[in-house]
Amino acid sequence: MKKIGIIIDKYHLKYKVSEFLKYLNSKADVKIYTEETFLLDSSKIEFDENLFFVKGKGDLILAFIKLIEDLTNIPVINSYRGTWLAINRFLNSVILRGAGIPIPDFSLNPKGSIPPFEDYIIKNIIDQKNWKFKPIVHKENGRLKVADERALNEVDKVDPKYNYLYYQKFIKSKWEFKIYGIGDEIYFYKQIPILINPNKIESRRKIDREPELEEYCYKAMEVMDLKLTSMDFLKSKEQFFLTDINCTPNFNYIKDGHKLVADFLLKQAKI
Amino acid sequence: MKIGILSKRKTMFTGKIKNFLENKGFTVTVYTLENLAINENLLNNDFYILKSKNLFFLYAGYYLEANNIPVIPKPQMSFIQKNRIHSHFLMKRIGLFTPEIYLGTVDTFKNQLNLDDFPFILKPIMGSGSKGVRIIRTYDEIKSENNTILYMERYINGIHYNVYFIDNEICTLIKPPLSHEHVDMKKIETPDDIRNVIQKWRNYFNGELLFGHLDMVREDASNNLFTVDVGSFPEFSQWKCRISPVDRICELILKKYENLK
Repeated sequence: MKKIGIIIDKYHLKYKVSEFLKYLNSKADVKIYTEETFLLDSSKIEFDENLFFVKGKGDLILAFIKLIEDLTNIPVINSYRGTWLAINRFLNSVILRGAGIPIPDFSLNPKGSIPPFEDYIIKNIIDQKNWKFKPIVHKENGRLKVADERALNEVDKVDPKYNYLYYQKFIKSKWEFKIYGIGDEIYFYKQIPILINPNKIESRRKIDREPELEEYCYKAMEVMDLKLTSMDFLKSKEQFFLTDINCTPNFNYIKDGHKLVADFLLKQAKI
Repeated sequence: MKIGILSKRKTMFTGKIKNFLENKGFTVTVYTLENLAINENLLNNDFYILKSKNLFFLYAGYYLEANNIPVIPKPQMSFIQKNRIHSHFLMKRIGLFTPEIYLGTVDTFKNQLNLDDFPFILKPIMGSGSKGVRIIRTYDEIKSENNTILYMERYINGIHYNVYFIDNEICTLIKPPLSHEHVDMKKIETPDDIRNVIQKWRNYFNGELLFGHLDMVREDASNNLFTVDVGSFPEFSQWKCRISPVDRICELILKKYENLK
């Protein structure tokens, strides 16, 4: 039987993986490493897992991935690079744009310094906590300014100490396209943008394969070294824009998502 | 030629670099956290010097590189040296002695650390030098807000060295334990094993590491030399060897830029 290590935090363990674990436990030996209770000791590198699966993005989790990657031959999904880039919004914007994937214009400015575009959304720079997007919408002289509450809370904190805001040009779109990548398989959905209908699941529907989105998705997974991901796209004037990329997708929103992910991991685990 | 410097301050070593380069006829702009906006406005300079490793300067460095503007030293090299987890595993991979590290919550440490293993050194994950660093001698001294993840290292008891290098010039100083770069230090002849560690460290970066510093401790019990911290762009305030750090570093950077063109 294959051995799978799950590197996870309490939040994901409690709310996101119960079906997945039930299924995986029937197929593999599963060992769970929970960020809040695990002591990472760099001298202890004897692991007998065939693969590690990461469901979280905290500091200990990142260090654990790095340890596994640097000091063992055990594969980790997702990788350190993929996880690190996914949580650093500015960095992934730079890399994705460099790879030719359309990204809305973006700028990182000190608080109080105006971004170089009129309609914008302020997003959190480091997307490491398990908080939900809480938009604060403000219209001024016909211009739309949206801020994610998490981004505003991030500013002026003592640790990390900074006063920067990430601005992304606002893309007006009828639909938000939610694309999941599980290895080589891509799953396509669309929903009404969360700013219009906060209950995203209410309007979510499966859509046919969209070649352009598929190409962007494969490219993004390649340059960011993500094997499992979800991405958000908006569409304006027939042009898609990638607005968010996630390294810990909630695969419960896909039909049989827990099985698809578990089967993919089992295939990747080599004895 | 227009040169940008990404630095947390305009004075000290940054100020000296700026003066040196301006005296050579270059136009130099220093970007601090007060005036740095990371967008296309940054693309007006020919190249940048990455003096400070604050996350936002690193972001700026990555952004500039992605837009084909050279950044010296390279942002990824500076990031590896700024992130203690990266530098720890890198040092292990290239065969340097480095203290074992531990990450966990306060509760995890209290439940799972062995009393015999104290003391430890508490450090920020992202950082260099002595900022945020303190010695932990008992369970009670391990504290954090909101049970956040802490990073600790095994404390190495021994002689502490601050070792600067600029190209092939190495300047070794004995320093008080856990002190910052600016305290008075005693210069010594560089021992062969310290020279070897510097060589190994620089070799990993394939000639890209023009200068920097390593903090090392020679363990009393074993005489082994542990590298406990790395820095990509120190202030060189205790440099007590031949050559002028400002002149030499600026020459190295300008030569590097010429080679990149």
